[in-house]
Amino acid sequence: MLKLVDMDTADNPTANPPEDEDEDDYMKMIITEPATPKEKETYTQIRKRKAREAEERGRIKPKAEREAEERTALEASLSASLLSDPELASKNKGLAMMAKMGFKAGSALGSKDNVGARTEPIGISMKEDRGGIGLDSEKKRKFREEVEWEGKRVKAEEGDYRERVRREREEVRLEGQFAAAMRVAERMDGEREETWAFEAREDEETTGWGKKRSISTKPLKQINVLWRDLVRKREEKERDCRMRYDFQQSFSRLPTYDDPNEDADNKKAMGKTQTQYVPVEDLEEEDPELDRFNALEPAERLERLVKHLREEYSYCFWCKYTYPDKEMDECPGLTEEEHD
Amino acid sequence: MGEKDVTSSKKAKSLKTTDPSQNPYLSHMYDTDVNGYGNAYGNDNYCGNGHSEENTLAHFKRHATTAEQAYKAEDGPNNPFTSQPLTKKYFKILQTRRDLPVNKQRQEFLDMFHSTQILVFVGETGSGKTTQIPQFVLYDDLPHLYGKLVACTQPRRVAAMSVAQRVADEMDVRLGEEVGYSIRFDDKTGPKTILKYMTDGMLLREAMHDRDLTRYSCIILDEAHERTLATDILMGLLKEVALRRPDLKIVIMSATLDAQKFQKYFTIEKEIERRTLRIEAPLLAVPGRTHPVEIFYTQDPEKDYVEAALRTVLQIHATEPEGDILLFLTGEEEIEDACRKIALEADEMIREADAGPLRVYPLYGTLPPAQQQKIFDPAPPPSRPGGPPGRKVIVGTNIAETSLTIDGIVYVVDPGFSKQKVYNPRIRVESLLVSPISKASAQQRAGRAGRTRPGKCFRLYTEAAFKKELIEQTYPEILRSNLANTVLELKKLGVDDLVHFDLMDPPAPETLMRALEELNYLACLDDNGDLTRLGQLASEFPLDPALAVMLISSPEFYCSNEMLSLTALLSVPQIFVRPASARKRADDMKALFMHPDGDHLTMLNAYHAFKGPQAQADPKGFCHQHFLSLRALQSADNVRMQLKRIMEKSELELVSTDFNDKEYYTNIRRALIAGFFMQIAKKDGTGKTYKTVKDDQSVLLHPSTGLSTDSEWVVYNEFVLTTKNYVRTVTSVKAEWLLDIAPIYYDLDTFPKGDIKTALQAAEKKIQRRKAMKGGR
Repeated sequence: MLKLVDMDTADNPTANPPEDEDEDDYMKMIITEPATPKEKETYTQIRKRKAREAEERGRIKPKAEREAEERTALEASLSASLLSDPELASKNKGLAMMAKMGFKAGSALGSKDNVGARTEPIGISMKEDRGGIGLDSEKKRKFREEVEWEGKRVKAEEGDYRERVRREREEVRLEGQFAAAMRVAERMDGEREETWAFEAREDEETTGWGKKRSISTKPLKQINVLWRDLVRKREEKERDCRMRYDFQQSFSRLPTYDDPNEDADNKKAMGKTQTQYVPVEDLEEEDPELDRFNALEPAERLERLVKHLREEYSYCFWCKYTYPDKEMDECPGLTEEEHD
Repeated sequence: MGEKDVTSSKKAKSLKTTDPSQNPYLSHMYDTDVNGYGNAYGNDNYCGNGHSEENTLAHFKRHATTAEQAYKAEDGPNNPFTSQPLTKKYFKILQTRRDLPVNKQRQEFLDMFHSTQILVFVGETGSGKTTQIPQFVLYDDLPHLYGKLVACTQPRRVAAMSVAQRVADEMDVRLGEEVGYSIRFDDKTGPKTILKYMTDGMLLREAMHDRDLTRYSCIILDEAHERTLATDILMGLLKEVALRRPDLKIVIMSATLDAQKFQKYFTIEKEIERRTLRIEAPLLAVPGRTHPVEIFYTQDPEKDYVEAALRTVLQIHATEPEGDILLFLTGEEEIEDACRKIALEADEMIREADAGPLRVYPLYGTLPPAQQQKIFDPAPPPSRPGGPPGRKVIVGTNIAETSLTIDGIVYVVDPGFSKQKVYNPRIRVESLLVSPISKASAQQRAGRAGRTRPGKCFRLYTEAAFKKELIEQTYPEILRSNLANTVLELKKLGVDDLVHFDLMDPPAPETLMRALEELNYLACLDDNGDLTRLGQLASEFPLDPALAVMLISSPEFYCSNEMLSLTALLSVPQIFVRPASARKRADDMKALFMHPDGDHLTMLNAYHAFKGPQAQADPKGFCHQHFLSLRALQSADNVRMQLKRIMEKSELELVSTDFNDKEYYTNIRRALIAGFFMQIAKKDGTGKTYKTVKDDQSVLLHPSTGLSTDSEWVVYNEFVLTTKNYVRTVTSVKAEWLLDIAPIYYDLDTFPKGDIKTALQAAEKKIQRRKAMKGGR
């Protein structure tokens, strides 16, 4: 390797004719950094740089830094064999004398029968405190154990966290599906009621279609608990929204305050002719049945609702299809997994 | 009734063994009159027979002595080595000697000694091996008849001195005659000496001039388990010498049971019937006098081992039955601090909880001998008859681990640390660091509790930590040392192939490489690795090569007298005393000697003041008043004298610059560089930190320095490795001097890039400018 490099550098100028030199140079041209013309330092710059350098030299390093430096310098000197650097070793007259006596690098001194002879000097370890024998290794062992334990703990927590996140995501997903199922259930229920009502009216008077769906005034407790939450939430939202609107509209008065002196035109202009919003009658009431139901796991709630849809409407939430008959032959099953 | 007898006899026995005058390590403390031959009673009983056997050992056959023969010779009536009548004291000691565990295996030892050249002997502390085995050898080797000596090495100077004294007493001779000792800077032997206790380092130095150790007929390496640098080198040498000198006997003595390593190391190859057999050195083990020790560990690692140790000591005192406590801590400061705290807490316990009296003694290497001796004082008696027992607590370094025997210790508290020398070739730093001990060390410590009766050892660490965290054996010193000095010695010893020199635990190759490099920079070795003239000269000095080179070059700087003093001062413990109770006053006194250019100069000033006529009139008072250590100064004086002798022998001039010359101190500072140019640090930026040259380590000047941090360049004597790195004993120098005096080390063409190189280049330019100016004129 070394020889090869030598040959290269030594032979090139003589072996290659000058014509080839260009080409040769081109082949192994070193692409240097574009030489930026070195800006000439101004006097002030030089002075500042010198002052900075002097300061750096003169800076008294903090004790800890200095001690650490000394220690590393010492460690470095202690660990480097004097024989490992061939250049330095070749200059050493002591080693040259030993070589004359027949010493070979890597071997030990003494009789060749002496197999235990050492090749490395005894290490030096400085004792810095009054710690008893075994304290350092005990400390190291404890430290190691702590690190290991800490590692385990972190890992364990990491596992927990992942599990928790996964569960939370799953819950959010299930809640979403449950909400969707509730909407389906409400719609289907509404449709059925309408058909029933329609059929009933058709029986009495055939007024035809166009009948608007009125605001639900049905008490919440009459709605199936399976999707009652949907209605309740909507009603609450409606109420809040309405109240906010009324509050903003009715400057200083209670929205329901009916001023007898106000004339009708004025009332109309102020948007008070509208029917006053009337919440579902039991909206403000406690609903323990719903609370109980909501306390269930979303998976459980979803399952019940899906079952309900199948039984009542022969509708499979997962197939998104209303089967013609109760048997629902083509539906693979009750659960989501079965529909994969 | 019978039980009472047993306890009373036990007490008598323990009393006998706790008598410090009986402790071989302390015998130098007691003035005994055993050597006064005149006042010996009871000789009449033996005189009649005595004359007929002029020399009791004359009929002994070398290397065929039996234990029985030896016993008979020991029984007198005349001293077999001096033919003088034996004293009553001798027989009294003989009685205790015969009780020692090694004595039971004297014949076994002799048999083995006869049959082999190299023998490994294991005996725990208290077995009597250090005092008895050399004597067993004397009666068998008969060195006095052959003009030879028996040498017994010790790792510590104090041990060599004390044991020699004890054995002189046991043999009824005067120390320095038949039995002597030889330690660095102190030799107490004579022409009659046949048994010489010496430090292992001294034997090594002797080998430099007598490679085959021809003076000796037997060499005993004691406490080999301590694996000091010198012992390891000696073992390597003896392996070779044994081949050249089949008549030389070698005994390796160890206190621990890992003796197989020694046996294996001293394997010999023998050719029997054309087949080469590898035979390990034979082993003889003698049990020590030990009792079982129950070991307790803590449930959890301790947050603060010192605090835990104090708590444990106090708890033992409050709840455990009678028995003294030995606590191991790491260093002087920690020990003194602990002693103070224990004493305070114990006082409170005595006042408030009716605890027994507690006496606390420190024990460490640099403690004056008189204070060291106090640890052998008996424990205090109960404060009132029938009250809770009193006890003593000894808070010591690992000196108390193997080398010192303290009887009466029943409880050992071991936090598991000790201060150990470390060396790393990569940063070239040799320093003392608090480090965990080895399992072998911990077992030794525990063993200390079972010397008198069954004991308990409280280890302030868990059993799991003991098994997992502690290394099996303490690293031998050779692996923890800078080997520059050792390499110089080995070169002088004629070991040329350092790479394959058979050491029990060869050091890392980088360590040898650094040592060779350092010696090359110091011009002690040439590029071929051969000793230069300077190297030859440097090896004559029992000093580190850098110090030796500095001393040898000092006449060139006109200050060899001063450098001689300084070298001596750097070779002894710290001369400035700074007791915790009077730090401020001590600092004020030190300020009197302070030289603004460096600590070396301050030390020199203090020494000169000490040598002045005023101080010499009352050295003790002078030292006390000025917070100087008389002991350190006196030993520096002694070292100086020894070094001066070597200087004179080597024909090195002793010169001084006139004190009033303005170059007086400059010359000294320049002379320092001649040896310590590899230990230079330069100020780093504007802060307080310095960077070491070449190794590039950040250091601070040690707080004890009198040098201000304005000095750009400093030469340092010592690198102190702690949580902060310090250099201690520093003197300011100039960059120009470095380039001038050590041009090879400071060769700027090969110097690593960085701030230091830039600064040196600036200095070089300055020199050249000056030269040009001078040339122009």
